[in-house]
Amino acid sequence: MSEPFEPKIVAFVCTYCTYAGADLAGTSRLKYAPNVRIVRLPCTGRISPMFILKALQKGADAVLVSGCHPGDCHFSAGNYHARRRWTVFRALLSFTGIPDERIRFSWISAAEGAKFAELINEITEDTRKLGPFEQYQELQKVIETQSSY
Amino acid sequence: MGIQEQYRNEAASLLSSGEVKLVIGFGAGSTADRRRPLFACTAAEAEQFVLDSACIANLSAYLVTEGLLTDGKKVAVYLKPDGLRSINILIAEAQLKPEQVVILGYAIENGEVKPLTGRSIGDFTDLGDRIRATTPPPAVVQEAERIDAMSSDERFAFWKEQFSKCIKCYACRQVCPMCYCRRCIVDVNQPQWISTSSHTLGNFEWNLVRAFHLAGRCAACGACDRACPVNIPLRLINYRMGKEVRDAFDYCAGENSGQKPVLASYSQDDSETFIL
Repeated sequence: MSEPFEPKIVAFVCTYCTYAGADLAGTSRLKYAPNVRIVRLPCTGRISPMFILKALQKGADAVLVSGCHPGDCHFSAGNYHARRRWTVFRALLSFTGIPDERIRFSWISAAEGAKFAELINEITEDTRKLGPFEQYQELQKVIETQSSY
Repeated sequence: MGIQEQYRNEAASLLSSGEVKLVIGFGAGSTADRRRPLFACTAAEAEQFVLDSACIANLSAYLVTEGLLTDGKKVAVYLKPDGLRSINILIAEAQLKPEQVVILGYAIENGEVKPLTGRSIGDFTDLGDRIRATTPPPAVVQEAERIDAMSSDERFAFWKEQFSKCIKCYACRQVCPMCYCRRCIVDVNQPQWISTSSHTLGNFEWNLVRAFHLAGRCAACGACDRACPVNIPLRLINYRMGKEVRDAFDYCAGENSGQKPVLASYSQDDSETFIL
């Protein structure tokens, strides 16, 4: 019998809010799905769309991008810039057929450990239902088979 | 005197008076319906300039050639309204100084070439209204609507097929006035963000990034679409991104040269319906 599908989720988070929120979830001993790989960055403004594409290229089934609530950015405006960028990038991904459910965005503050745990559980369950992101991973496989010549 | 002769004379006098060091315009092409960019440095060379309804290229791309404007001298260039729009965007992004560009403006309406009044970009004050009033080609709008109505699987299949044709020649990048980065992200190899080989994944990534980098910056001149040797509908994806930016932020690129680039600015009231 084949193993049940365990989604791979990559979370790009800012260090001042969402990472601290994730830390709080841990120190509060909240249990959440172990499917998430957290990548900590200085600010959501530092989260380049290239990171999302790279995560998909390397086999992620879903990506979460998360940072401080509007008005709470450590650098004053990083999350406002990021919000515009995501609005556009999300529209582009959607138009080219990468489902909205695979790329998620959230604001999680340092006090919202419970929200972080719930969100990770929710994304994991949603992705489990969607199944692996085969369409995209298929593209990667083509390269691996071609690279022999 | 037709507009062709009028602009030839004007180019010649700009060059002979020393006001500009170079005039960028059109010369005869390899076939009767093609025009080739012509760079005139003397009044005699300006005699070869051609101007007719086949002059559709956006010559503003040549202005961002590395080192061209560093000596502070002026350059004159033949431009259609979409070229004027590119100039505004380039000025807004600090790539050009408005006083360095002398404009020989023309518009093609129903196959006829008409002169535009104004020699400096600041003279075209009605450009913003013109841009907002311009309707994109109905075929492009319909195709975008058709794709928007598809399921994401169908959309993915559609673009996968389109992008699989890509041969990574980067003609779309070379011809684009907005692609002036000295080192393009696709040429960065440490870390290598985009697979450079011309397989479908690399093509997918390249085309996504190209479209994203043009979102809110595209002047809709269609140069990339014409340059693409394998006919990927680049105009379609650019149009769709432009529409997104306009709908979300009420922003049209290149309306005037004082605009703040849309992704380099923000408003606290931007919509965020998709953020959990």
